[in-house]
Amino acid sequence: MRETIRAILGLARPAAPLAPEPPPGPHDPDEPIISFRDVHLSFDRPILQGVSFDLAPGTTKVVLGGSGSGKTTILRLILGLLKPDAGSIHVDGTDVGHLGEEDLRPVRLKIGMVFQEGALFDSLTVGENVAYRLVEDGDVSPEEIEARVREMLGFVGLERFYARMPSELSGGQRRRVAFARALVARPQIMLYDEPTTGLDPITCKTITELIAKVRDLDGVTSILVTHQLRDAFNVARTFMARENGEFVPRSVEDLSTLEGTEFMMLREGVVEFRGTPHELQTSEDPYIREFLS
Amino acid sequence: MASRTQLLVISLGRRLSQQVKESVLAVQDYVILTGRGLAALITPPHYHRELVTQMDSIGVKSLSIVVLTGMFTGMVLALQSAASLDSFGARPYVGRLVCISMVRELGPVLTALMVTGRVGSGMAAELGSMVVSQQIDALRVLGSDPVRKLVAPRLGAALIMVPILTVISDTVGIFGGSLISIFNLKLSWEFYWRSVLNAMVINDLLMGSVKPLIFGLILSSVGCYMGLNTTGGTQGVGLSTTRSVVVASVTILSSDFFITKVLLMLFPVG
Repeated sequence: MRETIRAILGLARPAAPLAPEPPPGPHDPDEPIISFRDVHLSFDRPILQGVSFDLAPGTTKVVLGGSGSGKTTILRLILGLLKPDAGSIHVDGTDVGHLGEEDLRPVRLKIGMVFQEGALFDSLTVGENVAYRLVEDGDVSPEEIEARVREMLGFVGLERFYARMPSELSGGQRRRVAFARALVARPQIMLYDEPTTGLDPITCKTITELIAKVRDLDGVTSILVTHQLRDAFNVARTFMARENGEFVPRSVEDLSTLEGTEFMMLREGVVEFRGTPHELQTSEDPYIREFLS
Repeated sequence: MASRTQLLVISLGRRLSQQVKESVLAVQDYVILTGRGLAALITPPHYHRELVTQMDSIGVKSLSIVVLTGMFTGMVLALQSAASLDSFGARPYVGRLVCISMVRELGPVLTALMVTGRVGSGMAAELGSMVVSQQIDALRVLGSDPVRKLVAPRLGAALIMVPILTVISDTVGIFGGSLISIFNLKLSWEFYWRSVLNAMVINDLLMGSVKPLIFGLILSSVGCYMGLNTTGGTQGVGLSTTRSVVVASVTILSSDFFITKVLLMLFPVG
């Protein structure tokens, strides 16, 4: 797509009118860490039409919707890979809608992204993939890099795959390596783009438990984009409980008691639903009923 | 009310203007990408490992096809020119003709076309695959500049290796011509090589060294541009690969004419 090369060259679509830039600094815990305000984006057709939402630190937002509803576009806008036609997008107080590639770097350092198919670099080993961001930063010693990479691969249960190439991994293993790569720089925000699509139920469970683990143990704010309802509810239900000195995943059966996870459903670029998992499950909206069925 | 013909003309006009606009935009993007790639070559940070990898891919791995092409081109050139020169009793000039043809034209052009087919297409395919598998996005998210990391090393490697390959191709071609001259045309070794050395002037060397630089830049920048502009999944990767070879080859052949014209104006022969 022409957008790719224009974005790489910094020739991305004309940015929205300039808004006053909030001063950079430590994040106010009461302020949303991610904020969308009336965001519009169109290519050949409207992709997002007036999308607004806030995400509080330490919480999770699950974005649901059918194919082409604009779910992944939201993640790309947060990362500054796309620019909105109108509206504002603030990440930790910075308006990312107007920043160039260089200025986006500090914002992107706060974010970890797990791409749909993992997007691992084919020419690098698993260890090199996970170490990539630390090596690029250049101010971490090789010993510390190796220790951090092994720790992260241990976290996703793939330490013995350190020297393997991505082509030698299964789909689920690639997603887990992508997790480790996203987590290695200890981001404040994690973005998951359809992390369970095309995986078997057992691997899906492993992935959803990893998402819950990152959320509960590190207090990372996250956005999960998916059209897999079962996995969305699993992420909302799963929590890490300490048993015999170890954290183990446990599940809440009663959805009405869940806190900290909000569901948002998109339909053709418009927010169709916003609420708790319980509200989604009990919604009478015909479109949502059809989606849930 | 507009007639059907008028509507057809208006529709064609709109489509044409859209095409022209897209082509102009594409050229603008291409020029900016190449400019940024060249700027990244001379400003830090540099990716030395990528540069060496690309030099190996473009230079060392293309050596065999360049040697084979050069050798057979020189041999054919000697055979063909001998057949024509014989009618004027000018067979002793075979070495001179092979040398000038190889150094000025055939060496640079054939080497560039061979490297385009082997490496330019590979660049487009590799970068195209990275685009469709979101690896380019991942690079940007992880804090790397894709132009600096991917485009600059490819441009740099092509600028270094294509001239070296061209010199090798020229040398092997002239050597191939000497084999035919000695074993087929019954000319002496010394006579052939003296004819070659007498024919070569500084303008030939200049022409033979400017062209590979420009061709190297064209084949690598077109490959990178087509790769980064890939759309439509794996099918799009195939399309980008084909396009990169076609566009780079045509650009090399057409620019060869203009470079020759300019160089002949600046440094007239004879």
